[in-house]
Amino acid sequence: MDEIKTIINYTHRQAGHCESGATSNLFKFNGLDISEPMAFGIGNGLFFSYIPFLKIQFAPMLSFRNLPNTVFKRSTTYLGIESTVLKKIKDPKEAMDLLDRNLENGIPTGCQVGVFQLTFFPPEYRMHYNMHNLVVFGKEGNKYHVSDTVMEHPQLITYDDLLRVRYAKGTFAPEGKMYWINHAIDKPVDLKPAIAVAIKKTVYEMIGIPFPLIGVKGLRWLARDIRKWPKKHGNDKASFYLGQILRMAEDFGTGGAGFRFIYGAFLKEAGELFNNHEELLEASDMMGRTANKWREFTYTGARNCKNRSKPEEDYGTLSEMLLEIANHEDAVYKKLKKIKL
Amino acid sequence: MDESQNPVYKDKAHGQFRELSYSYKDGGNFDQTVGFHDQVDRLVLQQAWDLFHERIEAAKQRVLAGEVSPIVYYMEKNLLDPLNLSMMAGFSVWRVKWHFRPGVFKRLKEPTLQKYAAAFNITLDQLKKVD
Repeated sequence: MDEIKTIINYTHRQAGHCESGATSNLFKFNGLDISEPMAFGIGNGLFFSYIPFLKIQFAPMLSFRNLPNTVFKRSTTYLGIESTVLKKIKDPKEAMDLLDRNLENGIPTGCQVGVFQLTFFPPEYRMHYNMHNLVVFGKEGNKYHVSDTVMEHPQLITYDDLLRVRYAKGTFAPEGKMYWINHAIDKPVDLKPAIAVAIKKTVYEMIGIPFPLIGVKGLRWLARDIRKWPKKHGNDKASFYLGQILRMAEDFGTGGAGFRFIYGAFLKEAGELFNNHEELLEASDMMGRTANKWREFTYTGARNCKNRSKPEEDYGTLSEMLLEIANHEDAVYKKLKKIKL
Repeated sequence: MDESQNPVYKDKAHGQFRELSYSYKDGGNFDQTVGFHDQVDRLVLQQAWDLFHERIEAAKQRVLAGEVSPIVYYMEKNLLDPLNLSMMAGFSVWRVKWHFRPGVFKRLKEPTLQKYAAAFNITLDQLKKVD
C-alpha cells in the first residue's frame, strides 16, 4: 500500500483558549476573518459555575467557561453558517474513517479529546480533562497533522494515540465528537445581529438564571465558602482547593484571568464595529479592569498558597476580593443589559 | 496592575512550552503576549503535582504493607478516583472498591484483571505488582 498523504493548507495560529481558537481558525480557513475574542464572544464562551458537591481531581468543580462545543455551535448558529456536529459515534473505527474521508475532501475537522494521554501536550498539564479541542488538518501515512491552539506550532500524532484520546473515558467523555464547517463562506456575513444576540444571552447566563451556583451568584457563593475552608477542611486541603481555583482561572488555556480578558477584547471589537459605540467601549474598559482584579486575586492567592502564615486572615481577604470582583462583574452585565443594539 | 509585578519567566527550565496570554492596560488595549509559565502558574501547578505525588507514594506504601491491592496504586498513579476508574474499567463503583481488598484481588479472574490493565494501559504482570 502506498502512503496516503493529504495535507490541507490550513494556517495554525496560537490562541488563548482551545475551542474559540479552533473555531476562529476554522472560520478563517473558510474565508471569514474572525479573531479569537470575537469567536469566543459570539459563541457565549463566558460563564461561571461553582459546584461544591461535585469533586474533580479531589477539589470542588469550578468552571469559567460554557459546556464543551458551545462556542462552535452557537457562533455558527448565530452567524447562520452551515456546520456539522457529530457526537456519540459508537464505533471508534467509524469515527476515524469519517475523519479520513473529511481530510480527503479537504475539510479540516475539529475533535474533542481528553488531555491525559495526549502525547505532545506539556506533561505538567496532563490531567483528566476531557474538554480539550484540536483541529486535524492532514494525514501522512500513520500520522495525523494536528493544530492545537494551546501549542505554538502544529503537532504530529499517530493513529492509535489519536483514537485513544478521542475515546478517553471519564466525566464529559468526548465519545469521538467531531465538528466542521460544511463549505466555504462565499457571501458576506453580518456580525452585528449575532453580536447583539450573543451579548444578550451571556448577560442572561451570568445574572439571569435563577439558580444560586451559576453566574455572579455562584461567584458570591464561592466567595462566602472560601472564608470557611480553613476551619472546615484544615489548612492543607484549603490551600489545595484554592490552588485549584487559581489553576482553573489561569491555566487550562484560558488566556488568563478566567477568560475575562478575552471577553473584554470581544466587547472592544464589538464596540469598534458598532461605529465606536460608547457604552460598549465603556463596558469593555470595565471588563478589562475586572480582569486585572482577577489577576490580582490570583497573585494574592498564589502568595497565600506559598506561605501559610495566617490562614484565617488571608482567606478572609481573598473572600473580600472575590466579593468585590463579583460586584464589578455584576455592574458590567447590568450595563450590558441596558444597551440596545 | 503594575508591569514590574507581573514578570513573565523566560527560562526554559520550567516548561519549554510557550503559551499565549492576554493582558489589559488602562487606556483600553488588550494585548496578546506569548511567554513561558509565569510565577502563579508554576506555583499552583507545582502544588497540585506535589499533592498527586504524595498520594501516589502513600498508596504505594499501603500496597507494600498489604493493606490494599495494587489497583489502588495504579489508580492514584493515573490520577483517578474510584468513580472515574469505574467508568474506565466498566465496573460499578462499589465493585471497584471491593477489588481494593488484597484478598479479593488475589482471587480475581483474568478477564477482570485484563479490564483493569487496559484501563491503566499496562500489562497483566505489571498490574500484579508495584514497580
